[in-house]
Amino acid sequence: MTHRFSAGRTTLLAGAVGSLILASSAVFAQQPPGLSPLDKSNPKASKQDGNLKPHATPSLATPAEKIPIDKLKLPAGFKAEIWSHGHPGGRTMVMGPKGTVFMGSRIIGRVYAITDKNGKREVKIIAQGLTQPNGLAIGKDGALYVLAINRVLRYDNIEDKLDNPGDPVELTKEFNLPPEIHHNWKYADFGPDGKLYIQVGANCNICEINPGVHGQIRRYNADGSGMEIVARGVRNTVGFDWHPVTKELWFTDNGRDWAGDAGPEDELNRVAKGQEGANYGFPYCHANGIPDPDVKRPSPCAGVVMPAALTGPHSAGMGIKFYTGEMFPKAYQNVAFIARRGSWNKADKYGYDVVLARTSDGKAKIEPFLTGLLDQKKNEFYGRPTYLLQMKDGSMLVSDEQNGAIYRISYSGKK
Amino acid sequence: MNGLKRQWRPSAVGLAAVLILSSAAVAQNLPLTERIQQCGGCHGEDGNSQIEKVPSLAGQPEFFTINQLVLMREGVRRIEAMMPFVNDLKDEDILALAKHFASLPPKRSEEAVDPALVNRGAEIAEARRCASCHLPSLAGQEQMPRLAKQRIDYMIYALKSYLTDSRTGADTAMTAAILGASDADIAALAHYAASR
Ligand code: HEC
Ligand code: HEC
Repeated sequence: MTHRFSAGRTTLLAGAVGSLILASSAVFAQQPPGLSPLDKSNPKASKQDGNLKPHATPSLATPAEKIPIDKLKLPAGFKAEIWSHGHPGGRTMVMGPKGTVFMGSRIIGRVYAITDKNGKREVKIIAQGLTQPNGLAIGKDGALYVLAINRVLRYDNIEDKLDNPGDPVELTKEFNLPPEIHHNWKYADFGPDGKLYIQVGANCNICEINPGVHGQIRRYNADGSGMEIVARGVRNTVGFDWHPVTKELWFTDNGRDWAGDAGPEDELNRVAKGQEGANYGFPYCHANGIPDPDVKRPSPCAGVVMPAALTGPHSAGMGIKFYTGEMFPKAYQNVAFIARRGSWNKADKYGYDVVLARTSDGKAKIEPFLTGLLDQKKNEFYGRPTYLLQMKDGSMLVSDEQNGAIYRISYSGKK
Repeated sequence: MNGLKRQWRPSAVGLAAVLILSSAAVAQNLPLTERIQQCGGCHGEDGNSQIEKVPSLAGQPEFFTINQLVLMREGVRRIEAMMPFVNDLKDEDILALAKHFASLPPKRSEEAVDPALVNRGAEIAEARRCASCHLPSLAGQEQMPRLAKQRIDYMIYALKSYLTDSRTGADTAMTAAILGASDADIAALAHYAASR
């Protein structure tokens, strides 16, 4: 099932040599004087357990019989089943016009293609050896855009040649994204305006970022030209979607670490029509107007757009999808589903679920939807929901990065 | 000074292993003991490396070694020297190798540890919270490697690679942890970690 990704491996190696020569001078190149990407956090002041650490993501898939499908809990009438498995580290999901589900990943560096053959899923690796190819988007004519931290690639007619994808079109130069690694695994999607929206995260946990470069959502023409900044002061969004009716952009944003177990909470934000380029507060102002304890300035929240909803402390809200299918009851129409990967910088674990955001007038109410992957009593988790994909029949796929599995949520209750 | 031209002087076993491999194409279904011998050629028979800039594997958390071997097989962490030895590893091989190396007792290398640097390194490590991930003993856990008793020259090399984004497939958590460190800081951290 392995297809070796060979495109540009030699150039990559040459690149590594080059960056070594540039060495430390290049590290701060993006940072104007006075701004440093050094983490300003102070865990002593935050009174947190100093031994909290990020959870490990297994690089081998969980065997089918150990996938925690029996733990999943859903509202009455909904059902979860394992839709596919055996794709360790799989996160983002997009669907090509011919029905192939593509999956991006982080550390494992793979892009998967999952096809449906007579009700059975077949998993292929169409690219590997990439640096955190989390950003996937389907362009016009079904081309697959793959955004790694350091590269932008386009696979034309990919669904016709899954077994032999060939060399992609390299668009890295055209997009000219900043090279910093931290918080720069990409999320990307084409908007209703046909532009490619891309996140550029803050290159630190908490620091004074260069607002001209980091902490943004940008949009580009499909060829990498015409860059515009859509949102600023965004610490780390790894998921966005457009409201089906208002066509406004909504995005999740992960709050900073080491400022307390209680937050500042993660955010769900909206870019209101005509407010493109607005400031969402990082690094000075968090959540519903909490000044940062470590990076201070006068009136930190002046001019900052407040979130539409708070989505919980360290909950790691990732993928968001507004539901537009026919399968779920009416009450779910145009409601946003948000996958929360779950906390690490918090003693009592939180998240590891899928919640709903019912939006109106630029605000949102958060409700539970898929639970059961967190055992609060034992303070243990069994899976980490990361992204969502609505299928043609109206069912919803949820990826579980921890187990290398995708769950399919369907509805067969009363409507 | 880059990952390709670094010198390592394989011991006799290592050299033999390299030769066998290059002639007999890439190993097919080698038994575990033979694999371990191959690895030992560079990483030390008891998992404690005596070769400059080659890391010791003894006492590494199983998860860490599994993770790194998968990443190398994938071509994500690209180590040319190791390519012939990891290309054909099956998941079972990886699991068995990781278990083996985790069970070996780590031993400090013969490199001289400088007490002044150890003290300074301890302060930097405290300020940068290395222990939150690598544990106060620096024995490592899950995806976080053991640093205690690791080779000093390797750790200096590894930390510089994070700093310059030249360790392919690096975990961004570690890239963030070392950001902005000077060469002197890195030397101190390496001496401190090796002394633990
Ligand atoms: C020809 C020498 C050589 C052989 C043989 C070899 N390695 Fe390595 N290995 C290296 C070098 C050199 C590095 C570090 C390179 C770097 O970081 O750039 C390394 C790194 C590693 C690492 C990462 C360790 C860390 O602390 O980051 C693991 C795990 C590893 N090797 C396992 C193995 C196993 C298992 C085998 C046998 C199947 C093996 N190696 C055979 C040279 C070798
Ligand atoms: C947030 C967690 C975290 C913190 C804090 C952290 N590390 Fe790490 N460190 C890691 C992870 C994860 C790896 C494995 C990285 C990889 O896969 O690239 C690593 C790898 C390393 C390595 C490479 C070792 C090897 O065998 O290849 C060294 C050396 C190291 N860390 C030293 C340090 C030092 C010194 C500090 C404090 C300045 C520190 N780390 C702080 C998570 C952390």
